[in-house]
Amino acid sequence: MNGDRAGQSRDRQGAVSRLVVGRNVRKVDGVKLVTGGAAFTDDVHIPGMLHGKILPSPHAHARIRRIDTSKAKALAGVHAVLTYKDVPRVPHTTAGQAWPEPSPHDTYLLDSKVRFVGDRVAAVAAESRAIAERALKLIEVEYEILPAVLDMEQAMAAGAPVIHDEPDSTKIYDRQRNIAGYILREIGSVEQGFAEADHIFERQYRTQRQQHCPIEPHVTICWLDADARLVIRTSTQVPYHCRRQVAMILQIPVSRVHVVKPRIGGGFGGKQEMLLEDICGALALASRRPVKIEYTREEEFYMARSRHPQILRMKMGVKRDGTVVASQLTVLATTGAYGSHSTTVQGNTGSKVLPLYRAAHMRFECHVVYTNAPVAGAFRGYGCPQGFFAQETLVDEIACELGMDPMDFHRNNVIRLGDTDLLSAQLGEGKEGLPRLVRSCGLPQCMESAARAIGWTQKRKSLPNGHSHLRRGVGMACTMQGSGIAGVDWASAFLKMNEDGSFFLQVGASDVGAGADTVLSQIAAETLGVTLDKVIITSGDTDITPFDVGAYASSTTIISGGAVKKAAARVRSQVLELASKMLDAPVDQLDCANNEIFTTCACRKSVSMTDLAMQAMYKEKLQIMDGASHFNTDSPPPFCATFAEVEVDTETGQVRVVHLATAVDPGTAINPMQAEGQVEGAVAQGLGYALTEELLLDAAGRPVNPNFLDYKMFGAQDMPKLTTILVETDEPLGPYGAKSISEVPINGPAPAIANAIFHAVGVRIRKLPIRPEDVLRALHAERPANLEEELLTQ
Amino acid sequence: MFDKVEAFYRPANVREALRLLQSGKGQARVVAGGTDVVVEGDDSVRYLIDITHAGLSYIRRRGTASVIGATTTMAELEASDAMQALAGGLLSRAARWCGSALVRNLATLGGNMANGSPAADMATPLLVLDASVVMVNARSRHKLPLAEYLAGARTKRHARSLLVEVVVPEPPNGKGCRWSFQKLGRTAVDISLVNVAAGLQLDSRGRVKWARIALGAVAPAPMRASGAEQRMKGRILDQALLAEIGAEVAREVSPISDARASAEYRREISSVLTRRALEECSAHVGCSL
Ligand SMILES: Cc1cc2nc3c(=O)[nH]c(=O)nc-3n(C[C@H](O)[C@H](O)[C@H](O)COP(=O)(O)OP(=O)(O)OC[C@H]3O[C@@H](n4cnc5c(N)ncnc54)[C@H](O)[C@@H]3O)c2cc1C
Repeated sequence: MNGDRAGQSRDRQGAVSRLVVGRNVRKVDGVKLVTGGAAFTDDVHIPGMLHGKILPSPHAHARIRRIDTSKAKALAGVHAVLTYKDVPRVPHTTAGQAWPEPSPHDTYLLDSKVRFVGDRVAAVAAESRAIAERALKLIEVEYEILPAVLDMEQAMAAGAPVIHDEPDSTKIYDRQRNIAGYILREIGSVEQGFAEADHIFERQYRTQRQQHCPIEPHVTICWLDADARLVIRTSTQVPYHCRRQVAMILQIPVSRVHVVKPRIGGGFGGKQEMLLEDICGALALASRRPVKIEYTREEEFYMARSRHPQILRMKMGVKRDGTVVASQLTVLATTGAYGSHSTTVQGNTGSKVLPLYRAAHMRFECHVVYTNAPVAGAFRGYGCPQGFFAQETLVDEIACELGMDPMDFHRNNVIRLGDTDLLSAQLGEGKEGLPRLVRSCGLPQCMESAARAIGWTQKRKSLPNGHSHLRRGVGMACTMQGSGIAGVDWASAFLKMNEDGSFFLQVGASDVGAGADTVLSQIAAETLGVTLDKVIITSGDTDITPFDVGAYASSTTIISGGAVKKAAARVRSQVLELASKMLDAPVDQLDCANNEIFTTCACRKSVSMTDLAMQAMYKEKLQIMDGASHFNTDSPPPFCATFAEVEVDTETGQVRVVHLATAVDPGTAINPMQAEGQVEGAVAQGLGYALTEELLLDAAGRPVNPNFLDYKMFGAQDMPKLTTILVETDEPLGPYGAKSISEVPINGPAPAIANAIFHAVGVRIRKLPIRPEDVLRALHAERPANLEEELLTQ
Repeated sequence: MFDKVEAFYRPANVREALRLLQSGKGQARVVAGGTDVVVEGDDSVRYLIDITHAGLSYIRRRGTASVIGATTTMAELEASDAMQALAGGLLSRAARWCGSALVRNLATLGGNMANGSPAADMATPLLVLDASVVMVNARSRHKLPLAEYLAGARTKRHARSLLVEVVVPEPPNGKGCRWSFQKLGRTAVDISLVNVAAGLQLDSRGRVKWARIALGAVAPAPMRASGAEQRMKGRILDQALLAEIGAEVAREVSPISDARASAEYRREISSVLTRRALEECSAHVGCSL
């Protein structure tokens, strides 16, 4: 917490009177989390519960010729064994998106074909995990092994094996060529733009497969309640989408499904997915017993989801003075064996990245291809980390080539208050979108404050590098994101008053650990004029709480928060109406704060929320309650500036990040401490993305490093000094001026570090993660031999 | 993991441990800290024999030698005054590089050797110190040089034996004597991509009198760079010699490529870390490098 919260409420009208919003209140669910209360999915035991286990495909691509489960079924303690023969065949996507999902419907509960190592072959439910594992071994499968394609550059080639040759899948762009999705959008004419440019730069970049690594792997418990309805207690970011999708896949009415989202041990997008709920539900229905499936860490690595690897070609045309006139991004991405989030993630790579610069001409083209690899999906940043790595590294290169300070280049070219981003209008959630108007923008201030924190001006000029093999450098990147999907994401909230003047707040929103329950309670309390302890929140339970699309697209604070604010305002008017009667004063002369309703005139009359509640319930016979729905037609961008100082060991290629300063404009920070926590978490994942994290596959498509000894995340000891700065602005479309914060800071570390490496040692690394040996190879390649020798002899 | 395990024993002495190991008929497995055994999770194991209560946690002097019991933990090696005094604290310093604080509270020196990993961080400093291990089985107790043991740590030959202690003979000492341990990992808690230990004794005229260089994770087992050691004898340690040694070491290692690093990278890092180790040693003895 060393942020200098520049520009905070100070100068904002009315901010002083806020009692709950903008304050560092404690997490409303904090105590049960830190005391080990029964909070998470797996913290309960349902009597009679069985262990479910999935038989993963050992082959990257194969047809199941024969499958015999009789021995497995005969094993004592086994209650259900399912193969594709036992379940309905409903093409669907596992992407937890609003209906109709823009992702291809190319997935089946179980299928007679397997498309990656880890794909579902069969599932069992047994009395113990050991029995379930033994049963899996007893399932006899005869595979016809098919040629597999693992390299995305070969997926579209003639003669490549067709991964989705089944006729019933839908929404696949070109199944014969393994193209899940294709995007082409242009603003202006890049051809004309490049013709007008004095300099044109074009480079290729590569990004890797990163896994979310949530501390809690995917886990689901399903059972039939006393009314034989299917209850699904699950680690999900999208309880409502999950309910709809499971009902469709299992072919039961939505009304027969009850999804409960308890506390979640991290989602990061990996749980914006209907992943285990369908198969776990099918096992519960087949065995008529409660069933739990929990991924092991190894399974989580390759049977859950990961970030889409991409090959990006970025081209920019600039004037002699550094003004960007045209930019073009051409992307090849792979979604793995199924198209979950395929076009939407990749759409973001264009629509949220290119418009950072005010070029009149922009073009984005992308092929998303199938390969026989683990499935990619939603992941914090949602396509932006890849795009910004390319764009911000190229921009740094251009600035350096033109002899400009990258800060100046950014200052001159980045999107400003009042600008309209037209690319977003063309590129929405799998369809045409809506134009984005920038109504709040703290980006210039973000740049200035993070630059100051890192000591930019002085360090760009001179660093104490001397003759040592350790060389320091500083680099920067600017990034943005969205706040909810314009015109798609929507949420609702419901509030009712209790006898003691407290309120029940019911929201469909899904707190996945990021603190939504706290922030939404703060918004309700502020609006109602009560203290935070008077708001009791229930979230993410499809039987109790009203609809919400779920926790994704940085939407919860702005969209669900907007619904809460509306509902609370309605309830507040009911409260004031009754108070007006009780205090004999007109409503417009009433206000409430601190659990009291009082007159604003000189007479100073007041009534407590408790007395008012008793009056309402036992005299007026009135339940004070109301609900509201909310959506936005625009997605206000939060902005971020990331500045890094690194130290490169020129003999080993090791890169140590010394200091990382991140300044973010989240609109209003409803809870600054939580906001800073989100920045730091995003930065930790961004550092791993930049330097160490990559899920590797061998030539047969098997995961090479599905464990934490071999897949390296940043640990506490690896973290650099962090400076986190909140540059608050007032967003007209957000509740109390809030936008979003949890995704945008993940985009900056990779390009900022790559640029700092260039500043330190003069080599450009265009591939992630930036491994020591890649740096060393680049140093050997780019450094003249005499300089090398000179260094050696020092 | 360990689904076939029927019994977990905690013998109170070595004799009992050996008897259990014998009666396990090849399906028993010794556990010390468990930080390798549990990760491995070998499903053929039916009996686990925990030796941490068998009286093997000690650091003693025997004559001029230091003797370290097999179940002495990395944390104990780090904190021990005797270890901090031995060879400039080489073993304490290397132990500090093993995993996280949590791992070091469990991980034992014996386990680090017996696991037979080419990357074991304690192997290279012990090779530099000319250490031996004492092996005990139902019939005999014998001492063998660590290098010889490491070459076959996980073979049938030692399957029914216990490593009971590590013996470190009195190392060369005096003013002209220095030690270094260097490790490169991808993050703070990581198995070595390469590790190097070195020991150096210079005579009064600054010539190399005695030298040891050992490298880990660059060959099937932790190894001594004997060729490089030979080349140094009797010579003044200057930049030219360092470059020569670096090149020689790169020739002596035989690394593989895996998910952590490529063979070429490991080879290059072997010479870089060797040079750094020798530089650290010579800096301490006031050499003019
Ligand atoms: C997160 C993590 C990080 C790690 N980091 C490092 C690191 O940085 N450097 C490093 O070198 N290692 C590292 N390791 C590996 C491990 O911690 C060490 O090798 C440790 O010293 C093993 O000791 P242990 O007592 O836990 O062995 P155990 O796991 O108990 O046993 C290891 C093997 O040795 C056998 N064994 C144990 N003791 C004896 C004995 N006295 N006689 C005969 N056989 C025996 C066992 O049967 C088994 O085969 C790490 C492990 C983890 C989990």
